[in-house]
Amino acid sequence: MGSGKTALLERLIPSFTDRGTSLAVITNDLVTREDAERLQRSGLIEPRRVVAVEAGACPHTVIREDPTLNLDAAERLEMRFHPLDLVLLESGGDNLASTFSPELVDYWIFVIDVSGGGDIPRKRGPGVLQADLLVINKADLAPHVGVDLAAMTREARDVRRGRPVIVTNCRTGEAVDDVVDHIVRNVLFDG
Amino acid sequence: MTDIRTLLTALRMGDSAFPSGGFAFSWGLETLVEDGKVNDGAGVLEFARSQLWNRWATADRVMARRAAETACDEEWSDLDRMLDAMTLASELRSGSCQAGRALLRAHAGLGSQVALRWRRLVADGRARGHLPVVQGAVWAGSGMTVEILETLSAWTLVSGIAQAAIRLSLTGPLESQTILVEVTDDIAGILAAPPPDEPHAFTPLADIAVMRHERGDVRLFAN
Repeated sequence: MGSGKTALLERLIPSFTDRGTSLAVITNDLVTREDAERLQRSGLIEPRRVVAVEAGACPHTVIREDPTLNLDAAERLEMRFHPLDLVLLESGGDNLASTFSPELVDYWIFVIDVSGGGDIPRKRGPGVLQADLLVINKADLAPHVGVDLAAMTREARDVRRGRPVIVTNCRTGEAVDDVVDHIVRNVLFDG
Repeated sequence: MTDIRTLLTALRMGDSAFPSGGFAFSWGLETLVEDGKVNDGAGVLEFARSQLWNRWATADRVMARRAAETACDEEWSDLDRMLDAMTLASELRSGSCQAGRALLRAHAGLGSQVALRWRRLVADGRARGHLPVVQGAVWAGSGMTVEILETLSAWTLVSGIAQAAIRLSLTGPLESQTILVEVTDDIAGILAAPPPDEPHAFTPLADIAVMRHERGDVRLFAN
């Protein structure tokens, strides 16, 4: 929660648009439509390509135990904007135990941030361990919140046993290109 | 006596773990809580009873039964259109369709031929996929009797409300179970009598709440 998922989307969308990728976005806002509306108003993407799916206060259920409403939203976006190359789905966040169903996504990114605490990786939450890509965001805040970023990143790499970790600052765009490259290679099978 | 396999099928499909998105809908309860109209378990019970007697028994049940008694695409489309036309609040319509499409997706994924046919109707724009009509068609296609599928339809409605009440901090899990015990007699009473000849519904407080939900700031739920 508050780790920078929407900020990452705001960086990813123009990158993919520049590549000519046909894109749509689904947000699972927990309480409001704020994330969806923020993207719709951003000017980065046609507003109709962004839809919100309410999670009934069940942010984990809607991406794991019962992803049918997200799948339905993706299918309707695909029908409306056929052909789509990429659908980005932002979960409502919540906590370290959230994971995505393989019936919902082909690839998932788990976003944490340094201000959440340098000990997050070593808590070995399923999200940190299992995500295809772990993003550690807000790198610039590390000295201000007493976090040893190098140690946090090292521990993240250790617990993930070779799975990729990228340290970003989504506010400035630092290392976001690396995230794009991962998606391009592993989801779009391009490059 | 009900065949054990049918009973197990009904239990599986009525389980909140069956992946058909039911957890995301409050059917007006969220806004009634926001507006201070429902504040506790007694209010939830009253809301559930109103939904059962004034919408489910008189409209949803009729549509589910009619859908179960035909296997004709045209008739299914007609029922779907009729339910769409008689549902005033936008988020009641969209919620019913969203939930219906989710149910279709799950059953199609499990190989239901009826669900696959229905998904084509929706994809072709010949039906929107309203939940009660889909329930009747798909559950009958799964071998359920009208009596069982009507019970299942009523059960998923009230259990969804009881679960939503927990997440809206109105009740604890045991109080929600108590509400489900309370409405057992209501469901049995409704099912003991034949449904009305023509579908109709009158739940003005909930309908207005659903309309207000469209513009509400807080929306944990889709309606």
